[in-house]
Amino acid sequence: MTPDALLSLALNAVSVALLAAGVVFVLAGAIGVLRLPDFYTRLHAAGVTDTLGAELIVIGLMFQTGWSLATAKLALAGFLIFLTSPTATHAVANAAHRAGLKPLLSRHQPAHPRLRAELEAAKKSEAENTIEAIETADKAGKPVRTGKGRAS
Amino acid sequence: MIDMIVTDPTLLIEYTLMAMLLAVGVAIVRLRDLFAVVMLLGVYSLLSAAWFVSLDALDVGFTEAAVGAGISTLLLLAAMLLTARSAEPVSAIRHWSAFAVALAGGAALFYAIGDMPAFGDPDAPANAYVGLQYLERTQADIGVPNVVTAVLASYRGFDTLGEVVVIFAAGLGVMLLLGMGGRKPRKDGEGEE
Amino acid sequence: MIMLWINMAVALAVAVAMALMLSRLFAGPTLYDRVLATNSFGTKTILLLLVYGVLTGESAVTDIALLYALINFVATIAILKFFRYRSLEIALAQMSLRRAIGGGDDE
Repeated sequence: MTPDALLSLALNAVSVALLAAGVVFVLAGAIGVLRLPDFYTRLHAAGVTDTLGAELIVIGLMFQTGWSLATAKLALAGFLIFLTSPTATHAVANAAHRAGLKPLLSRHQPAHPRLRAELEAAKKSEAENTIEAIETADKAGKPVRTGKGRAS
Repeated sequence: MIDMIVTDPTLLIEYTLMAMLLAVGVAIVRLRDLFAVVMLLGVYSLLSAAWFVSLDALDVGFTEAAVGAGISTLLLLAAMLLTARSAEPVSAIRHWSAFAVALAGGAALFYAIGDMPAFGDPDAPANAYVGLQYLERTQADIGVPNVVTAVLASYRGFDTLGEVVVIFAAGLGVMLLLGMGGRKPRKDGEGEE
Repeated sequence: MIMLWINMAVALAVAVAMALMLSRLFAGPTLYDRVLATNSFGTKTILLLLVYGVLTGESAVTDIALLYALINFVATIAILKFFRYRSLEIALAQMSLRRAIGGGDDE
């Protein structure tokens, strides 16, 4: 085997390893978004894996393209994803929190009445954040809820 | 089918994208919640842009990405917020008549495919008369490798400039009418007449 | 040749992830779930285009992916901005009120 062929084989092996890791993260995140019980846990699944999985795949692709303009473009795309993906996830979380969406803390029915009331409130706040609920609230002439943590 | 995929593996991606486009289209028709529909329309143009790219129509994909996924989503969202948040129930007759119209239009288009020249046919009208002239002359006249870019930005450069000015004026008018952006909030007791 | 098939597999896996995101987008239930799913779907479309660009060796595809990366982010932020007010009507009313009285307590 010539050194060039060996180098290309090694680059491809590294690329395949990175791509495989990235695919595992992306798929795990997608399954998490589908399966997890409430918004904040889904956000966790989507936000973290999106950034890491995407970066791994982009770096894996960069090993295939060698030194070329395509590599520079891939690096730029990876940089943009690295900046925008966590920011967008944070913005979504922030908006949901400000609108008063409560996290679902537990799935089982707690024995203590206060905890049970909190669970009911969390479920109610999830139901309140659908468009239909906002629409009916508007029709009833209620003031629009803008959340408690709103900046003034 | 399998042979085609083995000779051209990107076909598999095209089929996947088309299947997703179909699913999104059906969901857009079926859903009542207009916010979800607006989000799905954004996803639809994202998907169709990716599909255009896989069909080698890069410039169309570029436009679809910029206009369809970015701006039209926001315009539809603004329109939805100014009107209703959920669609009125549509009667079954209207549903099926719309479906029949779409089906007839699609069938007519498929029928018309038979009259079209083969893809890349050198004797096709698009490649024969003026098109051929442009293809032959562009390199000497302008020296830009992409003929579409050469036509848009150089042969009809003033036309494109006029279009851009019109779009800019329209956007400015919409912003002035809706007051998007607004003014910086002033403190109380300051700037009062 | 083998790398071509590996890239194909990556592209298909990303497409499967896109389909899973789509089902979350269909299901909702809150509007933030939908915004999250749309944003994540956009990231996966960028990935698909990047893989496709390397697969076919056309680096112009990467330009479109770059454009997406920017537009996807801007669109997500803009949608959330709109929903801070819950309705553009209220945002506009507050704005014109502010204009009329020459000052205001909004925000």
